[in-house]
Order: sequence, then structure tokens, then C-alpha cells
Amino acid sequence: MAYKPQYYPGSSSVAVNRRKHMSGDIEKLRTVSDDDLVAALGHRAPGADYPSTHPPLAEMGEPDCPIRQLVEPTPGAAAGDRVRYSQFTDSMYSAPSTPYFRSYYAAINHRGVDPGTLSGRQIVEARERDMEVYTKATIESEMTCPGLAGLRGCTVHGHSLRLDEDGTMFDMLQRVHLEGGNIIEDKDQVGVPIDRKVNLGKPMTEAEAKKRTTIYRTDGVRYRTEEEVLDHVHLVHHRRTMYGFRPENASETAAGTGDIKYHTV
Amino acid sequence: MTYKYPSEKIFVEALREKFAGLDLSEQKVKYVRAGYLQSARKREFQAAGERVAEKRGIKQYDANVHLGGMTLGQRQLVPYKLSTRPDIVEGDDLHYVNNPAMQQMWDDMKRTIIVGMDLAHETLEKRLGKEVTPETINGYMEAVNHTMPGAAIVQEHMVETHPGLVDDCYVKIFTGDDELADEIDPQYVININKLFDKEDQNEKLKAAIGKTTWQAVHIPTIVVRSCDGGNTSRWSAMQIGMSFIAAYNMCAGEAAVADLAFAAKHAAAIQMAEMLPARRARSPNEPGGLSFGYCADMVQTMRIKPEDPVWYTLEVVACGTMLYDQIWLGSYMSGGVGFTQYATAAYTNDVLDDFTYYGYDYALNKYGPDGTAPNDLATATDIATETTLNGMESYEDYPTLLEDHFGGSQRAGILAAASACATGIATGNAQVALSGWYMSMYVHKEGWGRLGFFGYDLQDQCGATNVCSYQGDEGECLELRGANYPNYAMNVGHQGEYAGFTGAAHAGAHDAYCCNPLVKVCFADPSLVFDFSYIRREYAKGGMRTFRPAGERSLVIPAGI
Repeated sequence: MAYKPQYYPGSSSVAVNRRKHMSGDIEKLRTVSDDDLVAALGHRAPGADYPSTHPPLAEMGEPDCPIRQLVEPTPGAAAGDRVRYSQFTDSMYSAPSTPYFRSYYAAINHRGVDPGTLSGRQIVEARERDMEVYTKATIESEMTCPGLAGLRGCTVHGHSLRLDEDGTMFDMLQRVHLEGGNIIEDKDQVGVPIDRKVNLGKPMTEAEAKKRTTIYRTDGVRYRTEEEVLDHVHLVHHRRTMYGFRPENASETAAGTGDIKYHTV
Repeated sequence: MTYKYPSEKIFVEALREKFAGLDLSEQKVKYVRAGYLQSARKREFQAAGERVAEKRGIKQYDANVHLGGMTLGQRQLVPYKLSTRPDIVEGDDLHYVNNPAMQQMWDDMKRTIIVGMDLAHETLEKRLGKEVTPETINGYMEAVNHTMPGAAIVQEHMVETHPGLVDDCYVKIFTGDDELADEIDPQYVININKLFDKEDQNEKLKAAIGKTTWQAVHIPTIVVRSCDGGNTSRWSAMQIGMSFIAAYNMCAGEAAVADLAFAAKHAAAIQMAEMLPARRARSPNEPGGLSFGYCADMVQTMRIKPEDPVWYTLEVVACGTMLYDQIWLGSYMSGGVGFTQYATAAYTNDVLDDFTYYGYDYALNKYGPDGTAPNDLATATDIATETTLNGMESYEDYPTLLEDHFGGSQRAGILAAASACATGIATGNAQVALSGWYMSMYVHKEGWGRLGFFGYDLQDQCGATNVCSYQGDEGECLELRGANYPNYAMNVGHQGEYAGFTGAAHAGAHDAYCCNPLVKVCFADPSLVFDFSYIRREYAKGGMRTFRPAGERSLVIPAGI
């Protein structure tokens, strides 16, 4: 029987959405043109060639190497692209994604990406054209609400601040604003003005954000009601502790066996 | 749940002060974007920067120098209330450069060394046949208090230090021998019976110290501001040696002097912090070598208020976070303006207090009195999970609280500290408390899909594997771990908390000390410049500009600036 990844425990909408993000089974909600995306990222001018740090691999005469034979280069690596980044900030007020689930999505579903996960931001570094593929898929999908998430290279503390009065995530650098019901981006990731208005589409309603979110909250799905996830966390804690101490006894004291019981408090 | 302590949202009062007139539970707000002008301290800085630039002809501070000329402070700049205190200060007042009380706390640690007297007395009695009596000890104490600040003794025509510049320098004596203590001039004695008069702490300490006799030496603050912490033992030992020579009429060059010097410098000397290995290259008595147990022992609230272990625990957290995060990692290791707001989250606005009292009450109701909960993973799992869930729900229910702790590292440190401190008090075991810390980190990360900065992926995801390890290169009991323990050596927002729940375990067990009874007694001394019983009160005084530190040069520089 073929193995079918389960990805994540839990039965609530939050757990279901987490499984969707991890598996890559995400819904496309909007379209952002390639040039608009390039402008918002701010790494090169729309339409310009990709700057490269080395010649295409095919022209470099690479050494005979079993790893190189096993691993097919990504398009960006094959072309010699430089490594560039995209970084998202997600509001804690029920933005659809969270840093870890962005990273899981990137690492499981894209090749050649280097995700970094923090509390207020999540960065992916990759060869430039590979990064753009990843970013475009992310920003066009249900993982991103343009009102509650955004491309931010710096000043990312808005993730935990109260929302602005129009319901969008606070941004000190005001990279986006609401115009005619749509979120318009007119500065790049680090706040440098760009020469166009990138239309990122309508922000999700509060109800839709709560339906699509991957964060547990008291005003949404309460974390403490998700027993299967908490028990999973307890099991991870037990295993990491016991395998660093006495691995031979770890199974005897595992969740639900032996004298010690781990179950959601 | 029946609350023993006031743990029901005590941070709300601080939030009302900070976010005056605003609905604390509202998720949306109109952002005014008033920039630095909204803060009195920032306006003061701006004016000062302009004066500096005019005076020296080189530009300096300018709040308008930022991305594209946008000023920092585009959201509401809110002040900070010191936890348990009514005092409200600006965040800038809690940077150690701006806060003389914080500087003095570290100065008082760095300039301290504990030196045993028994080896020297044995040398005098057995090798030289001299008599050591309480009278001779009093004579020695007079000599050493003359010379320790930098005065000449034995040798004539020596250069000396100005007494007014070194008025914080002195030596006291303490012992577990009540008879001897009674015969020493009280001005020189740290009175264990009087200072540790609750819960029989004095008897526990005297039993631990026994008949041994120790000097608590505090060299001048101004000296450790010019020299490193390694100088403390050398400055102290030189003056101790000279004092013995004078007090016991010794020949300055006789071989026994070498024994006295060796005892004072090495054999009988207890540094406050260990020397660091070459890769971090610091002398003894520098913060990276300060163990969590010693840090917890330096804080004295346990003897003032033993019936409230949370209070003591959080004073240790305040001490440790300032020292380890703001001074050690923020300046010694990282450089730059440092990591002040990692630390302030732990000792301002009554947030950690609220979360910890909640966990403490939960444990009291479920497991009974302090220190009686089972020492196992199930206890850590239970208390840490409940404490963390409560804290997360508080952040969710109070958006201003979430905004106050705007960084995930702040929230992670606070939630895990509350969990570990409550677990430590409940079990009386620092290792179980440490397990509670990691449990909290896992619960937090999984609930919100985020934790702290990159480093939290390192030590907080793999640290559980070392909780039960006692091998020197892999683990250690928490009391003996410190800022240079491999897994902890680079991560802000952790080390002060570790010190805190090291203390929590012993406060929960209602011990008299955590790691070293000598350190506990030494820092009980009311003559110290910084009061180690009330860490947050002292920080508040520093922030309010009412704390008077030692080591100032006013006597020898022109008046005014």
C-alpha cells in the first residue's frame, strides 16, 4: 500500500487548513501578473534579465559527481541566478497562514528553497526565478489575505499589533493601502516606492479569514479544544526528553503506556 | 479554581496606564502615526542630539534618520510600568546605559569576591605560631577596611586613592559560628541571624557554612569600571595580604606571605563568575561565567518574603534578564544598542507576574503545597501546558497586551518562564522546571504556528534532550549551568529566565539558598549600593533618575557638563 502522508493531527478547521498548507493542496484566489510581482519584490526591474552569479551550469563543465547526477538543478540554479528572498508577515488576527506553515509549505512543495521561520515573519531564500515561482503561488492562494498578510522585508512587528481601523494589518512603512475595496501595493518589500500600483485584490472578510486561518485563537477555534494536537505536542516533548536521557526506556514511558499518562490537561 | 494570590489579569492596570483611554480588548485602532514627538524622552533625545552636533560639529542623534526619512514611532509609543511597582518610565530609561541602578547591580556583582579566612588563620597559627583571636580579627578588619579601597599600609610614601571616590569599597565578615560572630565588631559583620530570620533560614545557612569564616570583599566600583572582573580577586588579594602583614606584625618578605597570597588569590577565593574558555575569552567575574544558581542566590527576596515564592522568583528573572540579555548578550557578545526589550518584557507591566501566579495557583490547587508535586514529566507537562494556554489566551483576549509584547521572542520567553517558574515552585526541582520550559515552547509554537527568532528553533526545540543529562559536556544540574552552557550561549530571552526558575525550585522547597550559602549571605549585606532584595524597585529608581550609584568621578572633574 502506498504511503499517504497525514501531515498533521486534529479535526478542526485550523487543523484541516494546516494539512492543506503542508500538502500544497491550496486554492488559488487571485492573479498577480509577473511584472507586478517583480515590482513588489523589488529585486530587479520588471522585464529585466535575471542577474546571475555564475554561468549556466550546462556551460560550466561540472565535475563527475554522484550527487549532481541524483539531483536535478532547479531552473534558477541551472541558469546561475543569484539568491534572492521573499518575506511574508502574517497578522495574528486570523491571517490565513503562519510562519511555520509557510515554511512547511515551502519546504515540502518547492525545491531549492531555504525557509527561515520567525515570529513575525517568514523568509524564503532561493535562486531568483525559483523564489518568484514560490512567491507567486503563495500570494495568489488562500494562504495569503492581502489585508492580513504582506510582503515585508523589514519592520514586521505589525503581525502582533492591533489592526488598523479599516481592518488591515498595521504597517509602519505603509507599503499597501485600501483603495476602492482592493489592497494596493505601491512600495516594495523594504518600503521603497515603486512606479506602479499593484492590485492584490480584495481583503478577506473577517468570517472568511477565520474559516481559512491556521492559527488557534479564543475568538476562533480554541487551542485547548484541539486535544489531538495537544497530545501530539506532549508526545514530542516526551520523546525528545527521553531519547536524550535513556532511549532504551523511552517506549516504556511513552504516551498512554506505563505509569505515566500524557493526555491533554 | 480558588486563587491564593491575585493572579487574575493583574496586567490590566498597567495596560490602562499605558494605553490611556483606549479599549483594551479592541482589535482595531486608529493609528495616529505621530512619530517621535509623542514621547517626552524621544523629544529630549532629539534636543540633546542637536546640542551634541552643535558642540562638536559632527552630526549625531536624529530621530528623522530612518527608512526614507520616516521617523521611528509611527505607532503609539507607550511607557513601561515596572512590575509590582507604581513607577512608570519610558522604555529608553530601561536601557542599561540610561539606568544607573542597572549598572550598579552588575558593578556590585563584578566587584565582589568571597575569601575564606581559615586557611590564612591556619598559616598564622600553625606555621608562624601566632595567636588568632576575635581581637586580632577585629584588628585585621580595621586594617583591611583601610587598605582595600586603595590606601597604603606597611609601606610608607605610597600613592593612594581618594577615599571619596571609593566610598563604596569595604570588607565584612560572616561565619556559621555564633560565638565568633558575637565577638566581632558589629560594623564588620554580616548578621546571618538577623538577616535570615524567617523560616529558620539562618539555622540552615549556619549549618551549611559551619564554623568556617569568610570575608565578603567589595572592591571599588570605579576600579571594575576601568578593569575587568578578573581584577577583583587580584586587587582584593593584594590588599588582604598587606592587611595580614600589618595586623599580625609579619615580615613583609617572609615566605608565609606567599601562602596568604595564594589563599587570597586562589585557594580560598570564590569568584562570583567562572572564567570562560578561550573561544569566549573572559576573565572570572564577568557575566558569561555567572551560573544560574549564583545569580539566584544573589537575589535576596527569598529571605524577605519566603511566603511568596513567585515574588522572589520574578525578582531573580528581573536580575538575570537585565544582566544576561541586556549587558552580557546585548553588549559583551552582540554589541550595538543590544536587546533591552527582550528583557523588559520579563519585568514590566505585571505580565509575567500574572501568568506565573496563575500557574502557581493552578499547581497549588492540583498538587498541594509548594515543593510537593511529583518530580516527573507528567507534572511538567500538566503545569506548563495549562500555564501556557492561559497566557496565550490572555494575549488573544487583550490585543493591547499582544501589542505590548510585540515580538514572538518576548512572548515565548514570558510564557515559558511562567510555566517553568510555576513548575519549579510546585516541585522544588529545577530540572523539572526546565522540562516545563520546553513543554511551553512546544505548546506555544504549535498553537500559533510561530515562536521566537531563529535561535528558538535551536535551543528550544532540541533543549529537552539535555534536561535529564548531568554529564559535564552535555548537561548539568541547572544550578550549575550558566550563560556559557553550550546550548544557551547565544540566545537572548532565556538565561535570566533560567536563573529565575532555578530560584523558583528552591523557593518552592523553602530552602535558605539555591546553590552556594556563601553567595546568599554575601549579597544580603545591607551596605551594598544596590539592594538585591528589590531588583525591580531599584530599576525603577534608576529609570526615575533617583538612584545614586557609586564610582562617580564628580570629585575630580569640573562641575557641570
